[in-house]
This record gives sequence, structure tokens and C-alpha cells, in this order.
Amino acid sequence: MNTTSDTKQTGGRRSFLPAAINLRDAGTLLGLALIFIVFAVLNPVFLTIPNLLNILQQSSINACIALGMTFVIISGGIDLSVGPAAAISAVAGAALMTAGVPLPVALLGAVGTGMLCGLFNGCLIAFAGLQPFIVTLGGLSLYRALALIFTDGNPIFGIPPEFRSFINGDVLGVPVPVLIVGLIAVILWVVLNRSPFGEYILAVGGNQEAARIAGVPVARTKITVYVMSGGLAAIAALILMGRLGAADPTMGNLWELDAIAAAAIGGASLMGGKGSVIGTLLGAVILGALRNGLTLMNVQAFYQLLATGIIIIVAMLIDRATRGRA
Amino acid sequence: MASDIIRLAVDGIHKGFPGVKALEDVSFEVRPGEVHGLLGENGAGKSTMLNVLSAVLKPDAGEIRIDGATIRPSSPKEARAAGIAMIHQELQHIPGLSVAQNIFLGRPLKTAGGLLVNRRAQERRARELLAELDPDIDPGRPIHELKVAQQQIVEIARALLDDAKIIAMDEPTSSLTPSEFDSLAALISKLSGQGVSIIYVSHKMDEVFQVCQRATILRDGRFVATVDLAETSEDEVIASMVGREISAERHVSHAGTDVVLRAEGVGDGRMIRGANFDLHKGEVLGVAGLVGAGRTELMRLIAGIDRMTEGRVEVNGVERRFRTPREAISAGIGLVPEERKKDGIVRDRSVASNIALPCMKRFSRAGLIRRAHLRREATSLMKQMNLRPPNVDRPIGQFSGGNQQKVIIGRWLAADVDILLFDEPTRGIDIGAKSEIYDLIERLAATGKSIIVVSSELPEILRLSDRVVVMREGEIAGILSGDEIDEGRIAALAIPQSKSRSSKQTAEPVSQP
Repeated sequence: MNTTSDTKQTGGRRSFLPAAINLRDAGTLLGLALIFIVFAVLNPVFLTIPNLLNILQQSSINACIALGMTFVIISGGIDLSVGPAAAISAVAGAALMTAGVPLPVALLGAVGTGMLCGLFNGCLIAFAGLQPFIVTLGGLSLYRALALIFTDGNPIFGIPPEFRSFINGDVLGVPVPVLIVGLIAVILWVVLNRSPFGEYILAVGGNQEAARIAGVPVARTKITVYVMSGGLAAIAALILMGRLGAADPTMGNLWELDAIAAAAIGGASLMGGKGSVIGTLLGAVILGALRNGLTLMNVQAFYQLLATGIIIIVAMLIDRATRGRA
Repeated sequence: MASDIIRLAVDGIHKGFPGVKALEDVSFEVRPGEVHGLLGENGAGKSTMLNVLSAVLKPDAGEIRIDGATIRPSSPKEARAAGIAMIHQELQHIPGLSVAQNIFLGRPLKTAGGLLVNRRAQERRARELLAELDPDIDPGRPIHELKVAQQQIVEIARALLDDAKIIAMDEPTSSLTPSEFDSLAALISKLSGQGVSIIYVSHKMDEVFQVCQRATILRDGRFVATVDLAETSEDEVIASMVGREISAERHVSHAGTDVVLRAEGVGDGRMIRGANFDLHKGEVLGVAGLVGAGRTELMRLIAGIDRMTEGRVEVNGVERRFRTPREAISAGIGLVPEERKKDGIVRDRSVASNIALPCMKRFSRAGLIRRAHLRREATSLMKQMNLRPPNVDRPIGQFSGGNQQKVIIGRWLAADVDILLFDEPTRGIDIGAKSEIYDLIERLAATGKSIIVVSSELPEILRLSDRVVVMREGEIAGILSGDEIDEGRIAALAIPQSKSRSSKQTAEPVSQP
């Protein structure tokens, strides 16, 4: 019967708030502040400039992966293959570097490899209609296998020193990886909030069929987020490679889970259509601060894992309670 | 069989939704073993009545009695316990499970200990039940491997397991072949012989006359008559189904002579076959037909949402093949979909974002959205359309149905498409917003937009259309223009007639607007 009425749902909750203020990000920031306060009280070293920079530095790799993950999650997907995609990109980059290819070309080669992984995922998802979880689960094994086969399972050493000193350097005391990821975050914030593509991602994740009927290029949007995720995984891999001085084909184990955790703490909804660049950054820093603080207090690694799990679940419970029905 | 005892009495049922009175004072009676038709046009209140009977909806007033005792079920489960079973048009079973598991879903037979499901006992009992209905159905088979007709029989078995006194069937033959209908009819008469009363809802007059003894006719949510079908003609029944006064004034035509859209032999290889029609500049072309006649499907083909497998579409004289809605939009065609929530809105995004989706380029410079510009344009557009509240930053999900509809229409105005397809534009919209949308459609036609309006509500079609395409069973049954447009002619074309099941006549009256 044609009598379904929507009128009852109009009495919008929190409609009195201007849409521009992102409550969710404020909540994440509050959570971060709480963690900072607790550790600052427990350990005087925690709240010093060197340690704070250390936290940012330690969080930068996860933040880089998590930003890509955030875009994928907003589009309604998931990318489980980021760790192996990072490994294969690192291995490819290192192989090019040790073969004497000019450094910028080798770097492009590494990032291109990550993007190719994403393109493969994206095409299977957008054109073959496979589920993102399964496709990227396949990618997870596939890219790891390729990295291991290509290197015979051995790390590639001999990373050029100028690349290593660049990654390990700092500008006015701020570590280069933090600057790189910060710059990426600024760009991605603009993309998500100010570009048509950002609207497309949010629309595809929010209601794919409605977006398609409204003329959104759904396939192109989906493929692009996976390519971005692959590319960002490669950048994270390069940062780690620069710090370690080697490209290990086993690099990036379980990175996808940390990245998903950071995105979720930052307000990304695994149902799609919701997520924030700032939130994800804060989420990554929350996880980083937690590990750093617990390490400073000499808490065993087992308990760090425990704390991480608790934080994720508490964050989701608060999320649920404040957002009302999901 | 039919006696004067009353099995089911429906007495003075009222049911309203915000802005709509779906049922007003509906009463009828069903005798034991009677097959009782429930007839009416789309929107007459049949489904609401069934939902009240099966306690999916709670009536605002009135009562239901079974064998003289008033029942007040508060859930479908309680209605079943009281003896009313419902066979839905969309069959409700769990695909992976076996026939027996589906029959015993929610009330399994237990083993002696009471902990485990006794599958063997279930299958035995299911076999007993099915032996009477259709012995070919193996209770151990996964239900999704059965034909639809057999799945329906399983649902009937489920109803019998509950000792249903009344089985209500909603459009039971919508996906059956004629021979499957014959076996269903035989089964129905068997059930009625055993004293089970059947309430039979169908659009198909020949079926109703074949299986039902009496029928209750609803119109606009009101009771019209309960008739003895042996003493009533098909035409009389149709007349009382559609016979409402033609209320609204006809609009002024703005149709020109240029053909902006031409469909030739359009089909999808499944439902739609050989659809031919023209749409002129400034014209409002109505598309009438029963639910399931293929109207939405045809619109989706034109809008590039589903793939056309046969025929051709010309836009402004140029042949176009759309692979995506995006391509149709760039050719100037936009669809306002029937299911707004599913196909129209992105709920959590703002009104402005929802408006801008098809035409991001227009609102961007150097790859970035000009938010202020977008907000200004969206605000002025929505002011013209009287969006309430007039706040384009609010998520669209927080607006009422009518206001959401204005945003979707505004989206196509912002994208400046020339051809607008409206699929049930006023479904789920209260009366005030309805007339605003009618006015809007007329204003759009006056400014030279060409419009197609699919509607199940004849007054809407009559009020808006310059010409009317009538669809029936996936084909265009006829196109009416000028004085030919009246309820009787539309109904005659839309309702599948008893004799002419081979409805291959390509009625296409001369149709200059």
C-alpha cells in the first residue's frame, strides 16, 4: 500500500547543532586528551616534547595506512591487503634502488606497485562485483606470496644512505615521516571535504544505488579508493624501509587491523558513508600514545594488546551511545 | 459448503496513516469454507486490510471476530494462533533450509530430551501434510530448489500445521504460470471443502471469478459492496472498483510538437517487451497500469539504470545507448525514483550535497567544490520549492518524505535535465505536499521540460497527463490522448481480461497531443 509515511522521522535528533561542527571528531579528541592526562599523571616523561614527537613518529606509519583505509571504509569497503601490498611495494622499491635506478624513479616504482595492487583489488570489486572483504583477503595472501617469491624470503639490504638519512631526518625537530604523513593528511582532508570525488565516496558508501541513479561514477570511485589505499600502503612501506635500512618481504604483518582500528576509533563506520580524516589521525595517535605510555611504564606487551582491545571496544560503545542508532 | 454461519467478521475497521486514511469503516464477513475475493485498485486498501487481519498493523477502530469471538492479536504470531494465516505475495521462507525445516520454522518438533530438533519426525509430519497438497514435494529438499508454485504450497502446508481457519492469499498467482494456477485453484477448492475459508486478493478478474464465490470490493479505503460473483458480471465489478468521481481539474497542456524522446521496441529480455512511445517537448505523459505491469522497469531502462537488450531510444533525434545512469543524465534524462529511501537519497548527507551529486562540475572550480556557491544555489532552488525547514545543510534523512522528494526533484533542476521521469511521485507523501508536487510538475512542463509520470493513482494520472500510456504485463497496451483519457478506458486496458490472455494486440491509437 502506498501509505508509508516519513513524517514521523522528521523530528531530527541533534538537529539544533550546525552541521559544520564535527561532534564525532571532538569526541575522539576528548578521548585522546584523557589518555594523555592519565599517562602524564602516571609518568612525568610522557608529556615531554621529545616523547610527544616520538609518539607522532611511531604513529605515522599506521596513520598513513589508516588514512587510505578510511577512504575505503567510507566507500563501504574494506582493504585487508594493505600489509602485503606494503611489503611488495617495499621489495620492488628496494630492488630498483639496489639495481642503481635513480632514487626518484625507484620511489615512484614502489608507490606504483602499491597502486597496482589497489587497482587489482578495485577492478575485481567494481567490475566483477566481488565482496571487498574476500577480494582483499585474497590480495593479502597473493601480494605476500609474490613478495616472498620475488625475494626468496630474504630481506633486501643496501638501501641508499641518502634515502635513509632523508627519512630519519627532521625539519625544526619534527621527524620527516610525521611531516610526510601530515602533508598527506592535509591533501586527503581537502579531497574528502572539498572535492567532488569526496562527495562521491561519501555518497557511494552512504547509499550506492541512490548514488548510481544520481549519476555518480560508482565503479571509478570504488577503484580509486583502493588505488589510493595501495599507494598509501607503499608510502608507509617506504618510511619503514628508510628507518630499518632494509625491505623485508614479511613487513606489514597485521597492519590492516591497526589501520581499521584507527579508522574506527576516529569515527569511520564499517557500514560505509561515514568517516573523517582528522578522526583517523587522532585514532592513530590514540593507539600510538597508548603503546608509548604503557611501554614507558614497563608494562608487558601482552597487556598493551589487552589495552588496545579495550580502547577499541570502549570507543565503539561510546560511538554507539552518542550517535544513537547506527 | 457455504452456509449462513459466519467464520470471520470484519466490523468497522478504521486505519489511518499520517495524512492518509487507508481504511475507513470497512466491514465484511466470510463464511466457513468460503473463498472470498478482496478486490480494489492499487491503493484501495486491500494490503492494509490484509495487514490488519494478520496483525502486522493495529486498526485504529473496529473489531475482528472469529466464530463470534472478538480477537485482538498484537502480532502476526498471535493472529496465526487465532486461526488467521497469511500467504504473502513475496513468499517468506529461508532459502538454505529444507521444506520440512521451513514448515516447522519457529515451532520445531523436539527429540525426547527436548534439546534437539527431531528432523526425522519433522520430515514425516511434513510428508503427511504435503501428501494431501502435492505429493511431489520432497520434505527433505532445500526449499529454494522448488518451483515458486511449490513453495507456495509449502506455505499453505505451514498454515495448515497451525490449524488455520482462514488463509489470506495476497496476489498468489503473480508469479505462476496458467497451468500452475489451475492446480492452485484445485487446491483452494479442496481446502474450502475441508472448511477452511480463503481470502483471495488478486487483480486478475478471470481468476477471481473462477475461484471465489463472493467478493468484497474496496475503493479509496472504503467498503463498496460485497457481491455474489455468480450474479455479477466482470464489468460490474470493474465499474465498482474504479467508479469514483473524476475530481481534479485537468491541467493546461504545454506540449509542443518536437519529439524529445522516442522509444522503439524497447525491452529488457525479461519483463518489458516492444515498448513504443514518443515524448514531446513540454508534454506530461502519464504511465498507468497495475502494480507489476512493468512501469518502473520501463522507466529504469530509459534512465540507463537497467540494461536495455532490445529496441532503441532516441533523444532529440539522436540514438543513444546508456550503459549507466550517468550517461542518461548527460543526455538530459533524470529519474525521480519510487523508492526514495533506497534509490533516491543519501540519508546522512546534506540537502546541498544530495542536490549537487549529478552536477558536481557545475558547482566546482579547479577540482574543488565551491561550497558557498553551492549553498547559495541550493538555498534559492529550495526556497522556490518551499523546502521546510529551509536549511540545505541539514542531512536529508531528517526531512519528511515530501520534502525529500522536493530535494530529489531539485537535484534534476540543478543538473538542468530536459526530460524528467517521475515514478510514483507522491507515494508516501502527505496531502499538502502532494499538491505542491503536482503544481511543480505543471510548472516544469510550462517551462519546456518534458515529463513522464508513472502513477498507480488514477486521479493523479488524470490530473497531470496530456496523454496516457497504459501498460499491462510488460507491454504497452495502449496510448490514450485527449478525450479518450478516462478511468474506464484506462482500467479496461490495464486489467488483464479473461479471454484475451494472449494480449498481443498492439493497440496504439493515433496520438498527437
